[in-house]
Amino acid sequence: MIETKDLVKSVETSEGLLTILKGISLKIEKAEAVAIVGASGSGKSTLLGLMAGLDASTSGDVLLDGHSLAAMDEEQRAILRGQLVGFVFQSFQLLPSLTALENVMLPIELKGEADPQGKAKQLLERVGLEQRGHHYPNQLSGGEQQRVAIARAFATQGKILFADEPTGNLDTATGSKIIELLFDLNREFSTTLVLVTHDERLAQKCDRSINLVAGEIVSVKDEELVGA
Amino acid sequence: MPNSQPSTLTDSKSVGVLTSIALRLLWRDWNGGEIRLLFFALVMAVTSVTGIALFTDRLEKALILESANMLAADRVLGSGRPLPEEIRQEAQSRGFRTAETLSFTSMAFSDSGNMLVSAKAVSDTYPLRGEVIITDAAFTRGTPVLTGPPPGEVWLESRALPALGIEVGDSVYVGEAQLRVGKIIIAEPDRSGGGMLDNAGPRLMLHLDDVAQTNIVQPGSRVSYRYLFADDAMAALDDFEQWVDTEFDGEYRLRDVRDESEEVSDALNRAESFLLLGSLFAVLLAGVAIALTAKRYSERHYDYVAILKTFGCTSSQITFIYLTIQVVLAVIAIIVGSLLGWLVHVGILQLLQSVITVSLPAAGYQPYAIGASTAFICLLSFAIPPLLALRETPPLRVLRKDISQQKIGDSVPYLFGIGGAISLIYWYSQDFILTSVLVGAIAGIAALLSVVSYLLLRSSGSVGMKAGSAWKLAMTAARRRRKQNVLQVMVFSITIMSLLVLTLLRTDLINDWQAQLPENTPNHFMMNISQGQVEGIESFFAENGITGNAFYPLISARVSTVNGSIPDPQTDMDEEEGGSTLTEGAGEVDSRYDEIRDSLDQQTSADLPAAAEAQADEAEPVRGRLGRRQVTWSSQLPADNRITAGQWWGEESQPGFVSIEEEYAGWLDIELGDTVEFEINQQSISAQVSSFRSVRWDNMQPNFFIIFTPGTIDHLGATFISTALMEKEQKILLNDLVQLFPTVVVIEIDALIEQIQNIIAQVTSAIELISVLVLLCGALVLLSCVNATLDERFHENAILRTLGAGKKLILSSLLIEFSLIGLIAGVVATLGAEGSLYYLQEEIFEQEFNFHYWVWVAGPTLGMIIIAGLGVNSTRQVVTISPLNVLRKVV
Repeated sequence: MIETKDLVKSVETSEGLLTILKGISLKIEKAEAVAIVGASGSGKSTLLGLMAGLDASTSGDVLLDGHSLAAMDEEQRAILRGQLVGFVFQSFQLLPSLTALENVMLPIELKGEADPQGKAKQLLERVGLEQRGHHYPNQLSGGEQQRVAIARAFATQGKILFADEPTGNLDTATGSKIIELLFDLNREFSTTLVLVTHDERLAQKCDRSINLVAGEIVSVKDEELVGA
Repeated sequence: MPNSQPSTLTDSKSVGVLTSIALRLLWRDWNGGEIRLLFFALVMAVTSVTGIALFTDRLEKALILESANMLAADRVLGSGRPLPEEIRQEAQSRGFRTAETLSFTSMAFSDSGNMLVSAKAVSDTYPLRGEVIITDAAFTRGTPVLTGPPPGEVWLESRALPALGIEVGDSVYVGEAQLRVGKIIIAEPDRSGGGMLDNAGPRLMLHLDDVAQTNIVQPGSRVSYRYLFADDAMAALDDFEQWVDTEFDGEYRLRDVRDESEEVSDALNRAESFLLLGSLFAVLLAGVAIALTAKRYSERHYDYVAILKTFGCTSSQITFIYLTIQVVLAVIAIIVGSLLGWLVHVGILQLLQSVITVSLPAAGYQPYAIGASTAFICLLSFAIPPLLALRETPPLRVLRKDISQQKIGDSVPYLFGIGGAISLIYWYSQDFILTSVLVGAIAGIAALLSVVSYLLLRSSGSVGMKAGSAWKLAMTAARRRRKQNVLQVMVFSITIMSLLVLTLLRTDLINDWQAQLPENTPNHFMMNISQGQVEGIESFFAENGITGNAFYPLISARVSTVNGSIPDPQTDMDEEEGGSTLTEGAGEVDSRYDEIRDSLDQQTSADLPAAAEAQADEAEPVRGRLGRRQVTWSSQLPADNRITAGQWWGEESQPGFVSIEEEYAGWLDIELGDTVEFEINQQSISAQVSSFRSVRWDNMQPNFFIIFTPGTIDHLGATFISTALMEKEQKILLNDLVQLFPTVVVIEIDALIEQIQNIIAQVTSAIELISVLVLLCGALVLLSCVNATLDERFHENAILRTLGAGKKLILSSLLIEFSLIGLIAGVVATLGAEGSLYYLQEEIFEQEFNFHYWVWVAGPTLGMIIIAGLGVNSTRQVVTISPLNVLRKVV
């Protein structure tokens, strides 16, 4: 489903060229759940951004459902994202001026699908927020906001879901509930899930973990290894 | 690429979806602040432009009507000689309405008396514009009619009846004609605009057909022929004017109200310049407000765009969404602004109800079009650039906040804004030179401001560091935000400067006008007074409560040599002057006075009412170069005269000296100490030049190019001239005056003065209103500018509070920071205001520039108070909402 080939990302800094990712090659299968783990600054989020087509690599390529991202410009990548990908972020990233329902409707509308409101309502019901559809993000708790974000991520039923520290801004109890919800939905929609996390519990729930150190993959732990 | 076709802008369904997203964002953002400020700035721009355009449009129309009142026509052609018939034929073939008048002074006789009257013969079609007001009983209100007297009839002004001892229905003799007094004439449209021949006595109006039998008008008689033209199409009249000019090689020139009165045209031109400048400032300030709010709005929307992009929104869709928001906003702003603009102009008209006596025609659609275009130009040049930058927001921003768009440089929006500002200035002024000068001035001021404020902020930082902790906090904050603060100081300075310039200009203009025609401006001239009559007239005034003024001896003189040689000026003095009102320049009074005197001589010496002898070819008096001037002598310097070189002699004067008006002296190449020889009444008189003077020609007072010391020319037999202020109810006393002093000629200019005062009152109110509009725009800019740094301040102060800083400390540091910025902005603004005022007053408003000392105190103080007030008021929330909320929102 996702394949990276010798992915390199460098940025210009005041101290010269900084290489964040140093030739990452990996493969993620359809419906697989993969955690990317590593210390702060190891390049986890950069890798996620590149795989999701949010940024362009310096060299190498990403194949997303067979489409080569290196050959695309931002416009084409945006269209591809709209068709294939859902996102969940650490800071929720809901549009503050839209209600919970409207936030969930947004990607459906952008994709041009029919009945965005009906679909969004169903999803809100699925995440247990059917009563809060007309509330604005600032009227919701952190956990509720993240549930709205999860509903939004599944709204267009994209094949791949990227999550960046989805529990990072939540307390342990709420975080656990969010993890449950995320994985339930993932199974329900047979989505490929890629998440970046510090949270060991979260990583353990994945099929495997990719450990990054200073922009390189150090080890790939599969479920059995983690469990051993 | 994915197999299913993604939504694109060509897809109408997608357009609908994007539009609804745009409208939803617009609707919800309304509470966000920026969009509201942006909207208000747009509304302000549209309101001020539409309001001013509507007002000037209708004012112009009102003035056209009023000019019609002043001229009884749209255009007038006047001459001392009969006019070519083909001009009238051409006008008629063009479909214009035409009329003809003929003015002359004459004695009117009855069985019991006689009096000098200003006779005017009119054709059937007179008046083309305005109304003649007539009545049957003297000194009553009368009713308007659209015609002059029929043949065989005269209409007389009220006060002529008691003087002649007659009633309506009796007969009067005018020349050899016996005519019946049909009506009493209360007012006629073109009375105030007439020349001396129309103001030398009460009006006697007769039909043109009766002129022949009076036998007064002979070849060489002093008469004023006028053709009147009217048409509803101004352009057709302009075209006709051009035709007359080319066909007769400039010999004849059509005139409109601006040519009739220099005071009026001056006031109007200045008011138009002021309104233009005011609306320019208003639009530019609104533009700055738009730019500032749009910038902040777009900064706040980076995250929105990043999220939208993450979910598959393309850059072109982003552009579509944000353009839709702006267009919808602009359309609503145009509707609201047009409505408010309409209200503003209705408000002005309401205020001016008492002075605008004519009913105004409805305004055209152009003012609204101008307002709407202004909104779009403002948006395009000030708001669209930062909004377009939004499309370049990288989607990765959802993961990394510190990433912002880099593709569009910071300077691009400014370049757009500057381009827009220049095109707006040019569009409004239609004047390339004014545009380049104004743009150059603003650019120069901006450059100076940035250097000065940068240096000031830099040095104040080091001073502040030594003071208490609130100071320390404020100074470090001011220095940390130095780049933004310099920009802020610039915006504040330019705003305060615009307001100062406008306020000072307004005050100076109004003061100038009030000084020109104060309440007690004399409205009657008395000429041809003999030495023996002076005392009698003085006591007549005193007895009747009339405010009289100084008596100046008047004698006709000509410069014959300067230091023994005949001067040879290259240009014609009168051509340079170009004035045409009654008292505009002594030369004007001279020649008209000559006309009257000649006319009197003609009639009194030739055994009236017998046929006046044909006069020699004096119909065109020698004018211009080395022409005769009416001169005087005096020990006192006349009011509104200023010595520019040499010394005024004062009470202890010696005979043999002369003071000369500076421009006249320059024209004749006369130096201080030169000996000038004059020819006065066939005698030669020499005098030494002891001073040069500047003279205020437009003050409606007797003014002189040449003044001698007493004792120099006294023996040559002068008559006297004086002025008096007579109220309406005192006008009947004119009868007694001319009866007591039959040789005295009274010139009535009360109608003219009243008309000028009315017009000045109108434009004064207009100026006041535009100042208020600009003030509002200025306040809007200040508010937007303070708001521009609000997010950062919130964040910083939340951190400070989290770290334990008290409310008092934070508030006082904010107060100090804003006061400092306001103080610097005030100083720089005052500097810039005085600088640009110097240019504006000298070059455009033709006023004398004076330093406004109080502004040097008021400018900085006001800047400090306003900016500190606005700033602290806007940021006061910093200490009232919980730091956690702020940090959560912003981080």
